[in-house]
Amino acid sequence: MSDVKQMFLRFRRTPAFVGFTLFAFVLVLNIVVQGPAQFFSTRSLNTLFSKNMPLLLTTMAMAPLLISGTLDISIGIQLALVNVVSIMVFQEWGVPLYIGFLMGMLASLVVSALCWGLVSVLRLPSMLASFSLIYIVRGVNVLIMDKPQGKVPAEFYKTYDSLIGGVIPFSALFLVLVLVVWLYLIRTKFGRNIYAVGGSPRNAFAAGINPVWVQFQASMVKGVITGLAGISLTLMTASGNPLQGEAYGLRGLSACIIGGLGFGGWGSMACAVFGAGFLVIIQNTVYYFFNLLYRLIPGFTVTSYWQNLVSDIIIFFGLLMTIVTAREQREALRQGFVKQFKGGEQGAR
Amino acid sequence: MFTMREIDKRYDAVIACQDASLQVEPGEIRALLGSNGSGKSTMVKILAGLVKPNGGEILIDDAPVTINSGRDSRRLGIATAFQDLSLIPTMTVLDNILLGNEPKGKLGMVDRKISLSSVVALLERFHIDCDPDAYVQTLMPSTQSLIEVAKAVFMKPRLLLLDEVTAALHRDEVQLIFSVLRELKAQGTAIIYVTHRMNEIFEICDTSTIMRSGRTVAHVNTDELDLDEIVFYMTGQRPDTEEILETESCDHEGRELILDVEHMALYPKVHDISLKAYKGEIVGIGGLEGQGQPEFIRALLGVNRPEEGTIAYMGEEAHFHSPADAVHHDMGFISGERNREAMFPERSVGENVFAGSAAKGSLFKYLTAKVVRDFAQAAVDKYDIVVGSLAHPASSLSGGNQQKLVVARWIAMDPDLLLLDDPTKGVDVHSRREIHRILRQCADEGMTIILSSSENEELLEIADRVYLFYEGRVSGMLSGAAKTPERLVAAMMGMARNLNGATREVERA
Repeated sequence: MSDVKQMFLRFRRTPAFVGFTLFAFVLVLNIVVQGPAQFFSTRSLNTLFSKNMPLLLTTMAMAPLLISGTLDISIGIQLALVNVVSIMVFQEWGVPLYIGFLMGMLASLVVSALCWGLVSVLRLPSMLASFSLIYIVRGVNVLIMDKPQGKVPAEFYKTYDSLIGGVIPFSALFLVLVLVVWLYLIRTKFGRNIYAVGGSPRNAFAAGINPVWVQFQASMVKGVITGLAGISLTLMTASGNPLQGEAYGLRGLSACIIGGLGFGGWGSMACAVFGAGFLVIIQNTVYYFFNLLYRLIPGFTVTSYWQNLVSDIIIFFGLLMTIVTAREQREALRQGFVKQFKGGEQGAR
Repeated sequence: MFTMREIDKRYDAVIACQDASLQVEPGEIRALLGSNGSGKSTMVKILAGLVKPNGGEILIDDAPVTINSGRDSRRLGIATAFQDLSLIPTMTVLDNILLGNEPKGKLGMVDRKISLSSVVALLERFHIDCDPDAYVQTLMPSTQSLIEVAKAVFMKPRLLLLDEVTAALHRDEVQLIFSVLRELKAQGTAIIYVTHRMNEIFEICDTSTIMRSGRTVAHVNTDELDLDEIVFYMTGQRPDTEEILETESCDHEGRELILDVEHMALYPKVHDISLKAYKGEIVGIGGLEGQGQPEFIRALLGVNRPEEGTIAYMGEEAHFHSPADAVHHDMGFISGERNREAMFPERSVGENVFAGSAAKGSLFKYLTAKVVRDFAQAAVDKYDIVVGSLAHPASSLSGGNQQKLVVARWIAMDPDLLLLDDPTKGVDVHSRREIHRILRQCADEGMTIILSSSENEELLEIADRVYLFYEGRVSGMLSGAAKTPERLVAAMMGMARNLNGATREVERA
């Protein structure tokens, strides 16, 4: 067997395969609908990265949590926390904005530690605890900043929207930074431990790992990535808003699942990237698809809700596909069918 | 030298260990033996750091140590291979074996090259044929067991704990593990070996520690003992292997054959079970834990379909697709796992009694509260079950009363065949006596009852005939005068006497 074929077979077995396939599929679709020349223009690529970096980073922040067997759906509103802290520190204290960003990052780490305390130490159900955190963080946001306000200096948001060397979107640096750090972390003991704890906390404990501590480490990684996501959101919007970003939490979670991450010990950062990429590109595609319809069919007008409907239906099928293709779940589904029709666990093997 | 002294462990009212002790020296393989619930697994878990004892002390080389976690246990040089495996199914073989022992390379990263070479060498040593990068969940159960042992050996422990690791293994694989154990012994590793297979003890173990009901009853050299004596220490009964398999002749003339199971197999737990049950009879199923009893009962009920063999129920071959199907054919099932398989704790006592009947009727049949109440009241009155008010939630009852409630649910439906899986587990003596009385009353009225129990006293007390399971096979059937504690114990341990009079184990597959 050739090396390439071997590599493909190996890749096929990894959890990221489904996410990659979905992502590649819609990417090709997007290029076709938008036209290759248009799609690959530096301006279009730059917009794609700069407008979607918060979602991409939110999804990547969720990945270490899911791998280590926990969850935080309040990440979305935490972006707004980073945003308001950054802006208010800058505006009220008169310090440079990057000090504000640092404080925003700190706030994100504090909330991450709080969520860890509720879920890993006090053992509250993660879904419930982080759901209640949404309201707590939102309240704190409004206490810090009562209404949308503030301005980011032009040199900051212009840099964010710029192209490095006229080619590489500046915002893509966030992605590269997180990926490089993550690639290092995953090769350390920490990288093994989060999978062990997510896969089976009891067995990880028996192997001498402290699951609560490992989940704390994972939460801190999540906190840093969430901080970066909040900073990119601030640079993107160039102002402060205490109530924005909430939807990123659940969207990030669904992106993880589409990408092939499971609840505990299954999946990788690549899953998160592909999953988020899928969500982003599908919306892009549908937008350009409707543009195409407007041009091709004279007098064709629909509200933008139709775009959402179409893209959500495609996302739904994407989710369905992950169930059918994810090895574990497919096996469960198959066994379920066989059990119904043949009436035995054994027949299903 | 590793010593455990005066170990106490309680779970609420249940005593797992009481004044238990254990001692093992470097270069010694010590068997840790005991019957159901004797506390041997608890001792292993205490050393592995998974369970904290309520009292007692652990000494290593005469210095007291505390083990609060798996990390402590490892740091003291203790490695454990568990019966139910401690592998992470979603990780690869390589990552599992190295977990906690990853070789450090540059910048604190795990050195992939060293990892791979050492794991490949380990897999070769154990003759395990698998890809180091394969996910553990994709491997066969026997391979997983071997990896579990290999993982423990890889840590180069001073004390190696093996808790029934050979249960899922083939004879050749067991021999392979034994050869590795002999190597380790020569290198001065202390080994504690837990098993229920008696021949393995004589083959590999130098010494034995025997536990009964949470207490250590004997420390002995294995070659000074014979099997009968070991079993005596384990159970308090001298085994009597005489004519166990020949007590099938029994007076059943004129009685209707309700259930006739022939050569049932449901791998990996059930290998070859044949069992008959006649009308109005209480048939007991006994044996050590994990010999296929729960799987057998659930196969009768249609939870799983047996791979081989036939089940004839009321004279017809039965193929139940689901428990609902079996219940429709007048079978009933009572589980000892109250919370998981039987109770609706939030619902009222009356509704819980009615639940079985509700499963039988048609889906959209109109029900009134009065129907439920009257049905439950009638059942409670008939069998004189004291459960307090029918309107109270079932969770308000004590464990014993909850179990009586579940019994009431099923007998109120008057099934032809009632299956019970260890129904009196964790039930107080008084409730147990009540349940026995109710079961006997039902049997006298013509109900056929099959009862699996982990307690020999219960089987001897209530069952007309007792089948003993050993490694998925029937190792003995006792009835009438042959139903003695001594014979029961012999069959439970898989001992049967062959023609030459020498004891041997029941043939393993």
